[in-house]
Amino acid sequence: MNGQALITARNLSVSFGSTVAVKNVSFTVRAGSCLALVGESGSGKSVTARSLLGLSGGTATADALEVCGQDALSLSERSWQQIRGSSVSMILQDALMALDPLRPVGREIGDALKAHGKLPRAERQQRVIQVLESVRMPEPERRARQRSTELSGGMRQRALIAQALAGNPQVVIADEATTALDSALTALVLAQLRELKEQGRGVLMISHDLAQVAHLADDIAVMRQGEIVEAGVAAQILGNPQHEYTRQLLRAVPSGVPRFVPLSAASRPLAAPMQKDPAPASSALSANGLSKSFGKHAAVESASFEVPRGKTLGIVGESGSGKTTTARMVLGLQPPDAGTVELLGERFAPAHEPQRRKLREQMGAIYQNPLGSFDPRYSVGQLLADALSRGKSKRAAEYRVPVTELLEQVELSLGLLDRNPRELSGGQRQRLAIARALAPKPSVLVLDEPVSALDASIQATVLDLLDRIQVETGTSYLFISHDLSVIEHMSDNVAVMHQGKIIEQGATAQVFAAPQQEYTKLLLSAMPRLR
Amino acid sequence: MSRTAKILSIAFIALWALIALAPSVLAPGDPLAVNPAEAFQAPGTTHFFGTDESGRDIYTRVIHGARDSLAIGLAATALGMGLAIVLGTVAALSPRWLDEIILRVLEALYAIPSLLMALLIIAFTGPGVGPAIVAVGLSTAPGYARLVRSQIRTLKSSEMLEAATVLGRGTWLRVRNHLVPNALKPLLALVTLGIGQAVIWAAALSFLGLGTPPPAPEWGAMLSAGRTYLHLAWWMSLFPGLAIVFVAAGATLIGRALGGKARTT
Repeated sequence: MNGQALITARNLSVSFGSTVAVKNVSFTVRAGSCLALVGESGSGKSVTARSLLGLSGGTATADALEVCGQDALSLSERSWQQIRGSSVSMILQDALMALDPLRPVGREIGDALKAHGKLPRAERQQRVIQVLESVRMPEPERRARQRSTELSGGMRQRALIAQALAGNPQVVIADEATTALDSALTALVLAQLRELKEQGRGVLMISHDLAQVAHLADDIAVMRQGEIVEAGVAAQILGNPQHEYTRQLLRAVPSGVPRFVPLSAASRPLAAPMQKDPAPASSALSANGLSKSFGKHAAVESASFEVPRGKTLGIVGESGSGKTTTARMVLGLQPPDAGTVELLGERFAPAHEPQRRKLREQMGAIYQNPLGSFDPRYSVGQLLADALSRGKSKRAAEYRVPVTELLEQVELSLGLLDRNPRELSGGQRQRLAIARALAPKPSVLVLDEPVSALDASIQATVLDLLDRIQVETGTSYLFISHDLSVIEHMSDNVAVMHQGKIIEQGATAQVFAAPQQEYTKLLLSAMPRLR
Repeated sequence: MSRTAKILSIAFIALWALIALAPSVLAPGDPLAVNPAEAFQAPGTTHFFGTDESGRDIYTRVIHGARDSLAIGLAATALGMGLAIVLGTVAALSPRWLDEIILRVLEALYAIPSLLMALLIIAFTGPGVGPAIVAVGLSTAPGYARLVRSQIRTLKSSEMLEAATVLGRGTWLRVRNHLVPNALKPLLALVTLGIGQAVIWAAALSFLGLGTPPPAPEWGAMLSAGRTYLHLAWWMSLFPGLAIVFVAAGATLIGRALGGKARTT
């Protein structure tokens, strides 16, 4: 019956030794509706979800914890096993890791039924096919006999959901079930979850992404540092948030926010972007017909684009679309098979390394994982001194003034000078990477997924920083990301990559409002939006 | 490394440096002075570690023997590591075919037991301190070389070096500032471990009569000399043996501590 409470938690706390990971959280998951637990890493949302399966690994206490009519506080490990899969089940995050590559997926799904031992073999097989049909797996009989490695990404994802559904559970938990997926697969999983809800099951969705849960959740609980700071009906939370932290999270969602409008309240307000001097119309960076193949596989085919001075070109595409190979060719780290790269009107690639070395100072790079790009022996000050001295010195004291300026420019505290980057948070590391790239005063920055590893609120502050630097220094950005909403916020122009080709490019507003290509339309339709 | 481990390591190295460089401070006597009247004296107040068949003081000989034993250990490790760095670096940075050739040669060398190879080398050169160093050094080189090679290979394609390239650093600066220091750091622990091992091998060669010739006070040679009188004068073998154990174990412990540090960073 819809609306019936399937899971009720009252003042649930989970602790690991003396560390309290979850503190007095209360919520209800109802049949036919979806509750979303939203929070950033370390907020305790996954631990909360796992404690509903008896898998938290810590000590759970509560005034009341009822799971599908049973008092979960007094359950033995045996009774938990009865509940897992048949009353409550969980969709796992990574399909490639979660499915055994050596066994047919039909058997993997059947195992879930076997554990509960209710059905004879023939019926079990029937049930497997039935479940696969219910998740719209094409040719379910054939797919059930194949191994996960023989299936496409989408089919694997369907198999994973089928596995969670095999025992016909009343409640399905989706813990960051879409996080590592590209847009098409994300859309698929979201559609599946919606269907589960319509079938009258309770769905508990765990996510760090408010925009993503916006369309599915009936209720939202926002978690921070183990506590629920705000909970209520989704429309209420999204439309009229009461808690400061909820507002901060909502504000951090970049899609639909115009360029240079800060995403974080903490960011310094920006001076109006320089609209003047239309004189240097020439481009800062241009690529003409770049191509690269690895063996028979064409990673990039004839990619051409231009980054105007002081502007941002966003390149968006799913994993494997050739974005990173393009970036590497632009940076002169990989020679193109064909085509050229020009930086400030001069030939940059292909070229001999000694000839373009001087030109390299005009182009910096920011990576997804900045830590890997730092020499592990260097402190923050040494890294910056090394960059400023062109590798001749790493004594921060000699470059005191410019090092201080760089740190101030990226809003890092001077107290961090002697720290090793390992001791910094993800956001601080990325700021340091930006500071280092800015040291030679480059004209162009190539940013390859610069905020993909960061939590939403941190991502917002780093994007604001990049905006400010562009306004202040006029640096051009080549901004590469799989995240459409980040690209929409950051780019003046956008290029969409698909299977190694740029299939569409133009002004961002135009491409996002009226996409011409089928693939772009598909991408955009899968994009979660708040505004 | 913890503070205590650091202090202990430094004390250990200082002690052996003193013993090797200025043995007379701790043992003023002459290690070669023969006194048949005092042969086979048990350890006591006049002779701490007793005397040998010619009445030479074992304590004085153990202390004075440290220089040769440690010198062989250090020199052999330096030789092995130096060779390994050259071979490993060349293999890691050269085109595939040359890399393959160097690798096959290293594997072939690796397949021969080290001591056997040392014996082979001495068969050509004849016994002595120099040949012992060369023998031990050469036989440890292949193991180190493979390590250096994989270390440099990993670093070569690391984001760190790419970032340096993008910043406009030339080959020389990349190698000097990033590649070499980062490749050598984990080797430091290995070198310390290797010194302990090399001291044992040097002693083993001398024990077999292939290293330092008698009557020079070398631990392995002393061990060998004492073997004949083991039933009569156990102290002749025990104390040089303990010295070997002490040095090798100490070097190994320091190496382990350094290695543990390298792993966590």
